[in-house]
Amino acid sequence: MFGPALICAFVDLVFGSFDYQFGTLYGFRPIVVAPVVGLLLGDVQMGLTLGASLELLFLGSVSIGAYVPPDATSAGILCTAYAILLGFDAETAVALAMPIGSIMIALSNLFSPVTNGLSGLAPTYAAAGQDKKIVGLHWLIALIYVPIKFAVIYAAVYFGSDAVGWVLDVVPDFVLTGFSIAANMLPVMGFAMLGRMIFTKSLMPFFFLGFLLTAYANIPVLGVALIAVIIGIEKAGIFDQRKPALAAEGDDDDDF
Amino acid sequence: MTSDNTTPTELKDNERVITHQDLVRSAVNVGSLGMEFSWTYANQMGIAFCLMIMKMLKKIYRDDPEGYAKALERHVAFFNITPQIAPFVGGIAISMEEKIAKGELEPESVNEVKAALMGPLSGIGDSIFLTCIRIVAVALGISLCQSGNPLGPIVYLLIYNVPAFWLRIWGVQKGYEVGVDLLTGAEKSGLMDVIMQIAGIVGCMVIGSMTKDMFWATISVEFGIGDAATTLQDVLDGIMPGIVGLGFMGIYYWLLSKKISPVWLILGTMAFGVIAAFFGFME
Repeated sequence: MFGPALICAFVDLVFGSFDYQFGTLYGFRPIVVAPVVGLLLGDVQMGLTLGASLELLFLGSVSIGAYVPPDATSAGILCTAYAILLGFDAETAVALAMPIGSIMIALSNLFSPVTNGLSGLAPTYAAAGQDKKIVGLHWLIALIYVPIKFAVIYAAVYFGSDAVGWVLDVVPDFVLTGFSIAANMLPVMGFAMLGRMIFTKSLMPFFFLGFLLTAYANIPVLGVALIAVIIGIEKAGIFDQRKPALAAEGDDDDDF
Repeated sequence: MTSDNTTPTELKDNERVITHQDLVRSAVNVGSLGMEFSWTYANQMGIAFCLMIMKMLKKIYRDDPEGYAKALERHVAFFNITPQIAPFVGGIAISMEEKIAKGELEPESVNEVKAALMGPLSGIGDSIFLTCIRIVAVALGISLCQSGNPLGPIVYLLIYNVPAFWLRIWGVQKGYEVGVDLLTGAEKSGLMDVIMQIAGIVGCMVIGSMTKDMFWATISVEFGIGDAATTLQDVLDGIMPGIVGLGFMGIYYWLLSKKISPVWLILGTMAFGVIAAFFGFME
């Protein structure tokens, strides 16, 4: 199992982590990783079959906005490896996929305090003009849990499916839940930081207007933006008879 | 930091320091391609966005370290978009930074414009890439895989990524062009202020809208017994939907204005999350 375990961990490293540095190629999907694992472990046909079925299973779970779906990559890799190495049939392998994907995403949530904390250093480095440190942060944030992920995939293949369950047993449930609660809260901190840069007294009402339109009328963000453009056009008086904008000379609202 | 007598950037009125090559390179550099590599919940693509345009910022602010630092600070701020569209916004940001360096544009306007663009462009970009091109690519790839053809994954990757890379490279040039044309034309006609005013309104409303949509934690404390049981979340949502997220946004905003570092806020949030999960009052 030593060789195959190493191969699987390596496939996860390239497709599960570095794909995001190569331009989010979407090569981390089961349709790619399952055939690759199949090829490397000597059963291309099983890889192709599982690639097709797992891709269908995970078709809807893509990261839109900031929603983080189950980890289809590790699911694709491990299911294919189990099917080929342990002789599971395709159906059994597919049944394992969702739990594995959910466990792996919980594992990366476990690291989100570290990566989030590191990203909080970025404004400090920027303010000091330390551009090289910002570049370093980019790599550090991305790579910091790669060795652990590598080890987990390796162990999951080496020790079989029990290993995945064991990893989860070690960490108390409330810690995993707690980190996912925090992760679900943190985007609004990002907005607050952005807001600190652009909000002015005269713009604050529009922040609340955008909030209320979505809160009460469930208007999606694109709709809110379009409404905002119309309000902006009206407020600037572009279609009014009088000549617009000249009055706006000498910005009067940055006294916030 | 630096002393008071900093030299302002000596960009002449019509001088362009950004070359076509700079732009195209930025569309395929470490930041642009790694838009989701250093992704975090709090900052999302901010760091990568800064990396994408960093070289060009350095050129624009070559004689002005303090201006450079301020520009870096602007561009590590929260950013999130369909990754393939990020270079387009990068192009716009660079054209604006050229104006900011010359003192012809308010610095905060560049973040207003970025905020105004991220929601709408992601809406368009996600539908084009994730729900259109990806599905076409998957459909063809799966049918090839099912017939046992090893070209399946390759065909899938090509269909998805050829348009993606084309858009990056076209996007950065188009973004810069649009930015320059709009800003130069607008400046002469006095339209600049109008555009900036609209960008400010759109940016703030989009942040408001996302504050409702992107706060996913809920309070699970229950009141009452049996059929009358209701959660605190329901009660609060009855007062105003999304009030919890808005409240936290307010708290973060207030704490940041008290100069509390984001690092502590993030660690605090993590600790809060674990405590909340332990006592079971949030989920």
